[in-house]
Amino acid sequence: MAHGDMTGSTVQIRRRMRATAEQIFDLWTQPELMVRWMSPYPGAVNCKASCDPHPGGAFSLFMSSEESNREVSGTYVEVDRPRKLVFTWIGPLTNNVDTLVTVEIHPRGHETDLVITHERLPTQAIIEGHTRGWGNILDHLADAVSKGF
Amino acid sequence: MIDIEAGKEAASRTARLDVVFAALADPTRRAIIERLSRGEARVTEVAEPFDMSLNAVSKHIRVLEASGVVERHRRGRDHILSINARSLDEVDGWIEQTRRYWERRLDAMEHLLRELETNHKSEPKDHKHGSR
Repeated sequence: MAHGDMTGSTVQIRRRMRATAEQIFDLWTQPELMVRWMSPYPGAVNCKASCDPHPGGAFSLFMSSEESNREVSGTYVEVDRPRKLVFTWIGPLTNNVDTLVTVEIHPRGHETDLVITHERLPTQAIIEGHTRGWGNILDHLADAVSKGF
Repeated sequence: MIDIEAGKEAASRTARLDVVFAALADPTRRAIIERLSRGEARVTEVAEPFDMSLNAVSKHIRVLEASGVVERHRRGRDHILSINARSLDEVDGWIEQTRRYWERRLDAMEHLLRELETNHKSEPKDHKHGSR
């Protein structure tokens, strides 16, 4: 059996993109751009995004069709344009459990390396507040979810 | 309605998964799993490479048993430990799903970048790419 990643709770994706670091960063933090690539249901459904990209600010991506509504939301933990973006992430993919996404952007000449690290936080770490900036995040998350659309 | 209802359905699976992730959060326990992924072993064999008391290792083993990742059965006098592959399959399932999600999103991101670039180039007021 191939249980390769023994850290268990972390997924890391790297990709080299033909774009500047700023262009890539803005795709993550401008609602009119977010809706054009973040929705897993391209074209088929309405997609709305909102975000307030500073630490403690919330973002939300809401997708609706006749059959179902889905929402992904979270709170920014670190916002350092154009190099780094850290935010919590909660949605159907995470079974509505809090996870943490770190986006790192490294310029490589005319191209840019994008590294996404998606961590599922052990419950214990959430309770004990091990993660920096975690303190108010649960409150913010509750706000973000209750805002509705 | 937001997907809270669907979340409830998945709640027990989620709770189980969280216990597994908590168990995997420790390097000693990950090393134990790595050892057992090569085949079942006695408790003493598992404990041997670690620079800690058998008692300390046993505590880690108990956490792994409680999470369902490791199973124990007796063979004569020996306590034999083995991995419960199903529990790790659930972890792999989450990892696989998440990886697939982001790979697809990045495909969409690349597509969008190309689209934006094309629009940018065909913009008549743009002089940056101008002299062709």
